[in-house]
Amino acid sequence: MSESIESVFADATQAVGDAIIELEGVDKYFGSFQALKGIDMKVGRQEVVVVIGPSGGGKSTLIRCINRLEKHDRGRVVVDGIELSDDVRNIQEVRRETGMVFQSFNLFPHLSVIDNVTLAPRLVRRMPKSEADALGMQMLERVKIPEQARKYPGQLSGGQQQRVAIARALAMQPKVMLFDEPTSALDPEMIKEVLEVMVELAQGGMTMIVVSHEMGFARAVADRVVFMADGQIVEVGTPEHFFTNPREDRTKLFLSQIL
Amino acid sequence: MTTRQAGARPPAWRDVRVLRWVFQLVVFAAVAAVVYWLIDNYRNNTASSGIPTNFEFLTGPSSFDIPGSDFDQNQPVHSAIVVGVLNTIRISVVGVILATALGTLIGIGRLSTNWVVNKLSAVYVEVIRNLPLLVIVVFTFLGVVFQVLPRIENAWKPLDLVVVSNRGIGVPWYHGNSGGLLLLLAIFGAFGWWLIARWRRIVSERTGEPPRSGFIGAMFLVLTFIIGWVILGFGVTLPEVDGRQIVGGIRIDPSYFAVLIALVIYTASHIAEIVRGSIQAVPKGQGEAASALALSPFQRMWNVVLPQAMRIAIPPLGNQYLNLIKNSSLGAGFAYIELTSVTQITVGNGSPAVPAFALALAFYVVLSLVTSALVNVVNRRFALVER
Amino acid sequence: MTTLTDTRRTLRPRDGALIWLRQNLFRSRLDALLTLVLGAIGLYLMFRFVQFVFVNARWEIIQVNLKLLLVGRWPVVHLLRIAVSVIALAFWGGVFVGLIRARQVRRGTADLDLVGWRRIGDLGRRFGLLIATVLLLLAPTTTAGPRMVAIGLFAAVLLGRVAGSRLGSVPLPTALVRLSTLGLVITPFVVFLYLVDAVPFAKWEGFLFNLTAAGAGIILCFPLGVLLALGRRSKLPLLRSLSVAYIELVRGAPLYVLLLMANVSLEFFVPPWIAPSKPLRAVVTFTLFTAAYVAEIVRGGLQSVPYGQEEAAKALGLSPYRQMTRIVLPQALRNVIPAQIGQFISLFKDTTLAGLALGILDLLAAGQAITQQEAYRGQGLIIESLLFVAFLFWVGSFTMSRESQRLERKLGVGVR
Repeated sequence: MSESIESVFADATQAVGDAIIELEGVDKYFGSFQALKGIDMKVGRQEVVVVIGPSGGGKSTLIRCINRLEKHDRGRVVVDGIELSDDVRNIQEVRRETGMVFQSFNLFPHLSVIDNVTLAPRLVRRMPKSEADALGMQMLERVKIPEQARKYPGQLSGGQQQRVAIARALAMQPKVMLFDEPTSALDPEMIKEVLEVMVELAQGGMTMIVVSHEMGFARAVADRVVFMADGQIVEVGTPEHFFTNPREDRTKLFLSQIL
Repeated sequence: MTTRQAGARPPAWRDVRVLRWVFQLVVFAAVAAVVYWLIDNYRNNTASSGIPTNFEFLTGPSSFDIPGSDFDQNQPVHSAIVVGVLNTIRISVVGVILATALGTLIGIGRLSTNWVVNKLSAVYVEVIRNLPLLVIVVFTFLGVVFQVLPRIENAWKPLDLVVVSNRGIGVPWYHGNSGGLLLLLAIFGAFGWWLIARWRRIVSERTGEPPRSGFIGAMFLVLTFIIGWVILGFGVTLPEVDGRQIVGGIRIDPSYFAVLIALVIYTASHIAEIVRGSIQAVPKGQGEAASALALSPFQRMWNVVLPQAMRIAIPPLGNQYLNLIKNSSLGAGFAYIELTSVTQITVGNGSPAVPAFALALAFYVVLSLVTSALVNVVNRRFALVER
Repeated sequence: MTTLTDTRRTLRPRDGALIWLRQNLFRSRLDALLTLVLGAIGLYLMFRFVQFVFVNARWEIIQVNLKLLLVGRWPVVHLLRIAVSVIALAFWGGVFVGLIRARQVRRGTADLDLVGWRRIGDLGRRFGLLIATVLLLLAPTTTAGPRMVAIGLFAAVLLGRVAGSRLGSVPLPTALVRLSTLGLVITPFVVFLYLVDAVPFAKWEGFLFNLTAAGAGIILCFPLGVLLALGRRSKLPLLRSLSVAYIELVRGAPLYVLLLMANVSLEFFVPPWIAPSKPLRAVVTFTLFTAAYVAEIVRGGLQSVPYGQEEAAKALGLSPYRQMTRIVLPQALRNVIPAQIGQFISLFKDTTLAGLALGILDLLAAGQAITQQEAYRGQGLIIESLLFVAFLFWVGSFTMSRESQRLERKLGVGVR
């Protein structure tokens, strides 16, 4: 970590480098429950942001607003210069540039592993099959399971499935990767293999927003850690700051519970 | 300490193995007694009234005509039954196709975000599903065919292509005498479609452009028929009213029309519920993953959600198809000459009731078995590969 | 580098109604087209329907023939018996519901948060249609009799409901409990005998036939259905193959054909002195037919009981008979109540087939017959008549299917 970056950020809008994702005053309601309360946040190119916080605090909702799986009710969400609006074209454009990895993998059970990976490139990018297959194999090699290409998701372990899901997202060659608790549904011995892939991805310069409680991961690659609770961003800082002397009582309490 | 000898056999009245068989035999004997009583009654009753119990009636003359077929009253009963079975299959196959199409549309409609589409589908399903099928058939038969459709003298002739009257609906069709060639043409067209689908898939894999094999294939089929018409001189005849009859084209019998429409309307309401349930049963994450990969709503439905929903829907859909085949027996009440109708008429003409109906039931059971076998084959193709 | 200033589109201020319209009616161009076309068709159909029902229809044909449609040619002198029976059954039903409610309250599964007006509103939503139908049937009558029956009906339901929940909430001696259980079970049979005493079952017609045939069919088929289900799950090969053969053969056969067959050949299978009447033939067919379907439903219920339950019962040393009757069957049958209601609905609708196959003057047949009366022949009143018939069947099926869905949610069947 270079000296020029402060260990404590004034707020979440101080991105490291150029902003690729910008959120401005984002509110989100589920019925009368307010899940996000005026979120302001920027994420720079090639930056890795880890979002932590108690469940129900709005972490998942936050990243799901970035690729429009949830529609925000107020404020602005801009991804790589495209503002999310009701325009279908904008939404599709943003989704093409953001990959997402889910807690429960959400692989397509009726398609083989390689078809899972190549589906979007072929349908959305209109890529010839041979090219898509080559790309898919390349992605599977990146997540270290090229030998499973012909199998079906139901035949793989949880860790392998999650790695396929990462390869599937990468195959669209996104500029941003969103991870929604990617290791929460995994058995302990499988968490490592998924995290290794994610660390390599981060070191390769991918812009990542990761909702996760894997502190080891945060310490290793995160540029910033964002602590969210009750739909608000409570505290932002470098990993060192976070794990050595957090400022807010809320953060301290939470960290004492999970560490 | 005393232990009971495990090696020695227990007395018979305490032996589990013996008890099981005794219990079984008692139940079996009771069932056999009831069946014997029924058969004995049947034998005595038929003997005392001189009714035959064999199937000799099948070779006797049928002494009735079947409208809409070449069958005449001098042919034997068994050929009448064959015509009946074919008519049952005819209405069932068409009914299954139409009901599936309509039901799928309405089922998807019930999940639509469009308020009008959503509510109209909901009203359709909730109204039709809770009506007796027979009420619907009576409605289409007495209400629509005999009240709404015009008499033959002032039949509707939109564009002079179709003739609609309560004596039948005429639509353009090929000459009746080129049936074999027509079939050949259809097979040629279908084969071409299949080839085009394969070709388009290869092209799509090479270039990445969408295959559109359905559209191009259908175009080819249509083209085949047009070529057959223009070059090979297969005449298409238009239906016309001649006196009190429709000549030319092909005439859809009003009974067939009424029963078919009722079956389709009724079965579609059930299929719609199955389609809706199956789509809803696909985990939400699947659709979200597809959206996150920037698939369009149509691609999400067609490539991700529907293939998985199909897997859930096939067994209950198969049940609905079986119901439709069985429900087609209602045609007998509305002058559509299918299997039940033929049986009813021959029994009315003096054939022995029990063998005749037993034969009809056997045909239905066979039709059901064949249908469920087909459904099982499809089901296996859609089954997921699990660990 | 891009900043917020050169983004492509800004969001508009949001207005509730506009947003609703945009999201629900005009999401895209195709959506707007669908809305306009289908909306126009829907409105037109609704207009035609309303216009027909309230302006053009000649409802006098129903008004004049109301008795014929509901109870056929039932002698007027014996109508009182029907009134008494209906009220008795209403009371019986009320007691039943009351007992169930008391049991729910005891076990803490009742939703007690519905009180006062909200409870009345809930009941109105559930049964308003049924009550409205009763009132509608009353509208054309001019005599006091039917109105008294209606008042008696509602009073009996309420009284029964109160009595039932009282009865269920106080501890009673075992003997009394057994006695009242017996009373509850035999009430429908007593009512049936009371009616048959006046008019033999062979002459039951109209909607009365549809209701009683469906009720009798579902009650009578139940024991056979449970036995078949147990037989199909049995480890004993002979029993299993007998049950499977029966179930599969019957399920492969159309009910209409079975009814036609019963019409011309049932007499061959019984001694000559029995001579079954047409409604009896119908009920026998319904029973034998529905038993196969009920067997499959019960089998599903049995499969839904975890095997651990049976093992636990075995481990406690219960006999095979007790394992089944005390542990497995009660849980299985509770789970299949919604499916049973579904089967009852489908039998209720299928009773119309008996009218066509056996020539019984049931509701639908009566509805067709009245259009052939001298005063109405050739006037095209079949639509009015069919609408009325369809409406009665629809209200019954719709109310029952909604109640069964409610029950399903409550029992949590399928969410396990």
